Amino acid sequence: MSGVTVRIEGLVKHFGRVEALKMLDLELKPGELVAFLGPSGCGKTTTLLLMAGIYKPTAGEIYFDDNRVDQLHPRERDIGMVFQSYALYPHLSLFENIAFPLRLQRVVKSEVKRKVEQTAELLGITEQLQRRPGMVSGGQQQRAALARALVKEPQLLLLDEPLSNLDALIRLSARAEIRRLQQDLSITSILVTHDQAEALAMADRVACFSVGEVQQYATPDELYERPANTFVAGFVGFPPMNLIEGTFNGGFKAKDLGVAVPDGHSGGKGHLGIRPEDVRFDGDILGKVLLIESLGRDALLTLDVGGNILKAMAAKGMESRPGDEVKLSFPQQWLHLFDVNGERLDR
Amino acid sequence: MRRFGAPLLFLLPASVLILLFFIIPVFVTIALSLTDLSTATIRNPSWVGFDNYLRLFSDPFIPKILGNTARYVILTLTFNVVMGLVLAILTSLIPERWGDNFRSLWLLPRILPPVVYVFVWQGIMARAPFGIISEITGVNQSWINAAPWTTIILANGFVGASFGMLIFTSAIRAIPRELFYSAAVDGAGTLQTVRRVVLPLLRWPILFVTVYQTLSLLTSFDYILLLTNGGPGLFKTTVWSLHAYKLALSNYFGQIEFGLAAALATFLVIIGVLVSVVYMRIFNFNALVSQPKIEVN
Amino acid sequence: MPLLPQRWRLFVILLIVIGLPILTGLVWLILTSLFDRVHGLIPQGPFGPENWRFLVEPSIQGRPPVWVALFNSIVFSAAVAVIEVLVSAMAAYAISRMQFPFRRTYLGFVLMLHAFPAISLIIAIFYVLRILGLFDTLMGVILVKASLELPLGIWLMKGFFDNLSWEMEMGALVDGASRWTVFWRIALPMVRPGILALGTFAMLSAWGEFILPFTLIVSGKSWTMALYLQSFMGEAFTDYGLMAGVGLFYVLPVVLFFLLGQKYLLNIYSGGVKG
Repeated sequence: MSGVTVRIEGLVKHFGRVEALKMLDLELKPGELVAFLGPSGCGKTTTLLLMAGIYKPTAGEIYFDDNRVDQLHPRERDIGMVFQSYALYPHLSLFENIAFPLRLQRVVKSEVKRKVEQTAELLGITEQLQRRPGMVSGGQQQRAALARALVKEPQLLLLDEPLSNLDALIRLSARAEIRRLQQDLSITSILVTHDQAEALAMADRVACFSVGEVQQYATPDELYERPANTFVAGFVGFPPMNLIEGTFNGGFKAKDLGVAVPDGHSGGKGHLGIRPEDVRFDGDILGKVLLIESLGRDALLTLDVGGNILKAMAAKGMESRPGDEVKLSFPQQWLHLFDVNGERLDR
Repeated sequence: MRRFGAPLLFLLPASVLILLFFIIPVFVTIALSLTDLSTATIRNPSWVGFDNYLRLFSDPFIPKILGNTARYVILTLTFNVVMGLVLAILTSLIPERWGDNFRSLWLLPRILPPVVYVFVWQGIMARAPFGIISEITGVNQSWINAAPWTTIILANGFVGASFGMLIFTSAIRAIPRELFYSAAVDGAGTLQTVRRVVLPLLRWPILFVTVYQTLSLLTSFDYILLLTNGGPGLFKTTVWSLHAYKLALSNYFGQIEFGLAAALATFLVIIGVLVSVVYMRIFNFNALVSQPKIEVN
Repeated sequence: MPLLPQRWRLFVILLIVIGLPILTGLVWLILTSLFDRVHGLIPQGPFGPENWRFLVEPSIQGRPPVWVALFNSIVFSAAVAVIEVLVSAMAAYAISRMQFPFRRTYLGFVLMLHAFPAISLIIAIFYVLRILGLFDTLMGVILVKASLELPLGIWLMKGFFDNLSWEMEMGALVDGASRWTVFWRIALPMVRPGILALGTFAMLSAWGEFILPFTLIVSGKSWTMALYLQSFMGEAFTDYGLMAGVGLFYVLPVVLFFLLGQKYLLNIYSGGVKG
């Protein structure tokens, strides 16, 4: 199997008067894994179901390579899909679950057996094939669901929150495994998730969704380092970026806080962003410690800086207690500048 | 149209059957009621407008039949609701397993084929040596003939009580446990709990069962047909629906009167529509029609 | 109720007392069928196989053999159950899971019919069957009986389909199934409890059905057990022993079903209404 190029042009989806997806343009390269990241109700699952053909688009076009597919029935699209609940058929054994797509294609029996066993082997569930879904663990169910999606060697793999029903421990290993499989098979894939860590760890590129629109479509590094707007800045990265509302006029001023910014921006009102891990504990900005939360190796401090509440990450060794005064600096290369509408200023 | 080919295919068999045996019959009933179709005019019936309805008003037996119907509905209904309530409460006051067994026992009359059920009643009410009542009381007579109304109401009641029983039982089960606990903490005994907590909360189910059963009793006649066939004597236990049935479909005085019977049935159909509307109100209809999540067919 | 009253045994006794007539009836039926003569509930004569002669006699006073009636009853209830379950399930699936114009209206209509006392249409149905040429045939009564219970069936099955997982169905579509395949291979197997419940109900209800065959069937060869037993009623001399035998014979399958499926039945006989 080799992946397709996926092209989405002007895709719109309304449910009655609700605009679930406003206007989407997106392209996936062959073999790429793209994550759709966003909070619930942002349109990412809607988009996935449009790709699958479960929903019909209100407007717009979807192409797999050069074939327009948006009006095709799901079964004509040659896709594999894994659902959050796995959607395994409870009345069929894992073997029959995985074989289901092949049976529908009327593949000959011996071939079905060979392919199912090969796929099961790949996912390490050979032992469980004769059991029903209710009799195996969550992790094994998830693998079976993946096997069912992969067994017919689809040209596109859709993953709808495939890991969110797993225990935290298994989730980490499953993440790595799905990524390895996807790369080995070089199958174009879309992963829908609300977990930014998952998206950043697994995806080649991430489309960050909010209220029916893609806010930014970029590599994980770019998303983290150059968020396109305050939504992405606040959603990607944990703990989230500090966003301070204030005024740019050569420097940045918010209440009693003054910060020097690159290029001496003077665009009027806007937002200054800095990640908690980028705040340095040396310099001349004074802050008062309000709260200390231990994160194990580090500690997360809540600070009052000139009337603004900020978070900062401090190494464990630093002795400070609520009420203490600390000295801070905001290194210019780590500052993010956004205009009054939340758009990044230095694109 | 191709888009909706699949749902149409799925709905086709049901739609055809409903059309044939619900919708068309409603119109046939109304249409027949405007003709003089009977054994005498079977070859060339003619439209007579509302003559059949006017005949109903002048028929000397109609007041008697109306009275019978009222008696049948009111007494049976009372028995059904009261017995249903008593059974639901009593079976809820004893351990679950026992409760289920008693509820099943009361379901039995409804599940038994009506012919067998009625036969057992006939046997019990018969003359000695078979009739138990005759044996016990020492008065050897056909009790169905002696007390036809009592028999009809009891026989119908034992069948009908289970409906109320089941509805009330699930309503009682739906009462939050905390209410019972707090009543107990407040010092209420069993009777007081039933009176002050359970009964007030059963108001809606009781209203529902009453309305629903009133209207369906108005149209039912199968047990009367089997038990007394409307007798003994002239129209002694004939109710409206039975009268309509016999006018049209059994050889009553050697004369079958479709037109007149259909006029009687039209009233029943109207009642049927009323039941249905009441029924609709009970449900939160909008909650039942959420949009399907798959848009392809 | 959550708290068991101290005197619950008293209530059990009370329930036994009011339930006594039902038990008495059953005992009477059994005893009367088994003994030559019964006075009330007290068997007088010897054990009487005479009451069961209908099983071997080819014809009792011109009636068809009981086996014909039994066969017809079996065909009747099986066919009604199969048609009712299948047609209801198909319609319910469409209403529950598919998009089409007037879906709301259709469901509202079915819900209304669910409460409609269909027996009030019997006169017109008699006419419709005559026109269709199905009068006095088992097929005709089967269709009528199944149709009259369709609204209940559709309503009940819709409830079961409503609870199916959407993802399961989406998965099947993506796997390459059509809606038709999804219905047969995924949805139907998953609503098995509903099929069993409706099937049992339909079967029992058809098994006992009297008015429809009584009205729509004339010839002895199409008699069902209900008509067979009813034909003994209202004769000048009532042979209670024989009738009790026929009655017990007729009722045995019902009792079996009843004992097997109590739980299902308690649910369905409230007509799918939640109190």
